[in-house]
Amino acid sequence: MSTDIEKLDDHHHKPSGIMRWITTTNHKDIGTLYLWFSLIMFFIGGAMALVIRAELFQPGLQLVVPGFFNQMTTLHALVMIFGAIMPAFVGLANWQIPLMIGAPDMALPRLNNWSFWILPFAFTMMLSTLFFEGGGPAAGWTLYPPLSLQGGDSMPFVILSIHLFGLSSILGAINIIATILNMRAPGMNLMKMPIFIWTWLITAFLLIAAMPVLAGAITMLLTDRFFGTSFFTASGGGDPIMFQHIFWFFGHPEVYILILPAFGVISTIIPAFSRKKLFGYDSMVYATASIALLSFIVWAHHMFTVGMPLAGEIFFMLTTMLIAVPTGVKVFNWVATMWKGSMTFETPMLFAIAFIVLFTIGGFSGLMLAMVPADFQYHDTYFVVAHFHYVLVPGSLFGIIAGVYYWLPKWTGKMYDETLGKIHFWLTTIFVNLTFFPMHFVGLAGMPRRIPDYAIQFADFNAIASIGAFGFGLSQLLFLYILLKTLKQDVTAEDKVWEGAEGLEWTLSSPPPYHSFEKPPRVE
Amino acid sequence: MNKDMKKTYYLLTIFTVFMFSFSYMLVPLYDIFCEVTGLNGKTNQTKVSVINEQPTERFVKIKFTSTVANSAPFIFEPINKEMNVQVGKIYTTFYTLTNNSNKIKHATASPSVVPSQDAEFFKKIECFCFSQQEVGAFETKELPLQFIIDNELRNETKTLVLSYTMFNTTEQVGLNSENKVYE
Repeated sequence: MSTDIEKLDDHHHKPSGIMRWITTTNHKDIGTLYLWFSLIMFFIGGAMALVIRAELFQPGLQLVVPGFFNQMTTLHALVMIFGAIMPAFVGLANWQIPLMIGAPDMALPRLNNWSFWILPFAFTMMLSTLFFEGGGPAAGWTLYPPLSLQGGDSMPFVILSIHLFGLSSILGAINIIATILNMRAPGMNLMKMPIFIWTWLITAFLLIAAMPVLAGAITMLLTDRFFGTSFFTASGGGDPIMFQHIFWFFGHPEVYILILPAFGVISTIIPAFSRKKLFGYDSMVYATASIALLSFIVWAHHMFTVGMPLAGEIFFMLTTMLIAVPTGVKVFNWVATMWKGSMTFETPMLFAIAFIVLFTIGGFSGLMLAMVPADFQYHDTYFVVAHFHYVLVPGSLFGIIAGVYYWLPKWTGKMYDETLGKIHFWLTTIFVNLTFFPMHFVGLAGMPRRIPDYAIQFADFNAIASIGAFGFGLSQLLFLYILLKTLKQDVTAEDKVWEGAEGLEWTLSSPPPYHSFEKPPRVE
Repeated sequence: MNKDMKKTYYLLTIFTVFMFSFSYMLVPLYDIFCEVTGLNGKTNQTKVSVINEQPTERFVKIKFTSTVANSAPFIFEPINKEMNVQVGKIYTTFYTLTNNSNKIKHATASPSVVPSQDAEFFKKIECFCFSQQEVGAFETKELPLQFIIDNELRNETKTLVLSYTMFNTTEQVGLNSENKVYE
C-alpha cells in the first residue's frame, strides 16, 4: 500500500538534479542537506583535531608551527560547534518535527531553504582564511580581546562568517518555533508533544535569545578594530573583561543549545527499546525548561579567575551547581525508564545508553569545575578540555548518531547493517574514552590547554590520547561507509521499524512520501 | 501565512532584534549593576572633588608599579616605588614618561588597584590618567598623581598596589582629530 502512496506523490512537481537541492523548500530535502553538510564539517573539524593530536603525540614541536597549531584549535572548535553539531540538530529537527507533530512541512519553507544555504557560504569564507597571508584566526573560538583584536586579516572574515551562521541558526529557530506553536495536528496539545519536540522548542528559544548577543559582542570587536570604538580597548577606556561577560552570556546558553536536542533524542530512543513509556514525561519537560532558564544566570563560571568579587564567585558557583538538579532528574528518569523494561540493544539504544553513562561523567567533571577554589587549579587546563569533550562528543555527538541510526530506516526506507552499526558503536565508544579520559589526568597535573608543546611528564597520557583520537577518527569513516551502504542496498525497512517505537512518524510509510500529512492526522 | 503564524513570526523577530540591542545595553548595565550592588573591583576613574581630610593614626604601604602596553616606544616608571602613607592625608607623587621615538606620541594610562575590594578607597584628586598625554620626540615628562586613602579602608588591609598600564593611543587620536600635522 505504501508504494501506491509513493506513486501518487510523485505527481507533485520537483525539479531534478542539482536545482532540486538548491531550490527545495521541502523539509525532508532541507533536513537531508543539513545532515550531509554537518557530516562534511564533522570530517573537516575532525581532520583539524587530528593535526592537534598528531602534534601532541610527543612533547616538543614536530609537525606544525605554534601559530598554525593555534589556528587549528580555534577553527576545530568553530567548525565543530557551528558547522557540525548545530546544523546536525537542525537537520534532525527539519526531518522530524513535521513528521512528529503531523504537519505537512515547516511553517516558513522558503526561509528554511535560505537558512540552510547561508551555511556553505559562511563556512567557505571562514575556512578560506587558512589560505590568507598570516593564516586563519588563532585567538581561540572565544575570541577574547585584546588578542583577537591583534589578529591578521582573517579577523573580519571570521566575524562576518560568524554573523552569517548565527543568522542561519536564528532563522532556523524562528521557523522551528513557528512550526511547533502553530502546526501541530489537532488534538496534540503542548503536554502531549513528543519530548524531542519539547527539547527543540526550548532550544529554539535559547537560540534566538543567545545568538543575537554573540552577534552584538563580535560587532563590538569589529568596530573596536576598525572604527575607533573602545568597548574592549583598554587604552580608550574600554574593558576587555566586559567581552568575556557578554560572550559567556551567549556562551553558556549555547552549550545547552548543543545538548538539549540530544536529550530529546535520547528520551525518544530509551523508551522505544525499553518498551515502556518515558518515565516522568512532565518532569522531563520542566527539567529541560529549568536548565534553559538557569543557563542565563551562570555565565561567569567560565571566568572565575578574572578577579571577580567573592560575592560574585559564590553566586555563580551556587547557580551552576543548581543546574545539576534538573540534569540529575533527567538522568534518573532515563534510568527509571529502562528499569524492568524488556530491553533490546540495537545500535541506537547502545549509543543512547553510552550517552547516559558518559554524559554523566562529563556532568560530574562540570560540577568539579563549578567549585571556585577547585576551578582556580583547573582553569584553562586539559581538565576543562576533558570535561567539555565528554559532554560534547559522547554527549551531543552520540545523541546525533543515535538519532541517525534510529530514524535512518524511516528516512530512506532501507535498513542499515546492524552488525556494522554495533561494530561502529564499540569502536567509537572505546576510542572516545581512550582519547578523552587521560586528559582528566594531565589536566589535574597542570597541563595547559591550547599549547602545542608540553612538559615531558605528560608524554604517556598524551600519546594514549592521540592514539585514541586517530582510532576515533577512523571509526567515523566506518559510519560514512554504513550510511552509503544503507543508501545503496535493496533491503527495505518496515513502516514501523522498531517494535517499541511510538509517534506519528511511524504511521507513515518508509520512506515517507515527499509530501506527508497533507491532511493532518488526529491525535486522541 | 495565517494570522497566528504571522503574529508568532513578528514577535520572534522583534525578540531577536531586542536581544541584539540587549548585548549593547549590557555594557552600561554591568556598570550600573556593579554600582548598585557595590560588587566592583574597578578603580575610580573620576576626580574626587569634595575631600574630607581627616588624617588618622593608621599607616598603610602603597606600592607603585607600571607597565607599557604592546611594546610602545615608552619608558614609564614611578619615581617612588613605595610609600608609607597616613590614611586620610593627601599625598603627591610622580611617574615619568619618556617617548623613545622621533615622533610625537599620545599616551593614556589605565589604572588598577590590588586588592580590588579596596579600589574605591584609593581616591584620586589629580591624576595623569584622567587625560591624554602628549609627549614630543625623545621628551621626558613628569606626570603628577595626587591621592588620599579613605578612612573607610578595610582594617585588614596593610598594603595597596597601584598599577598603571601606559597605552600608545597616537593612532586612535589621529582617527578623531587633525593631529597628523605634527608628524
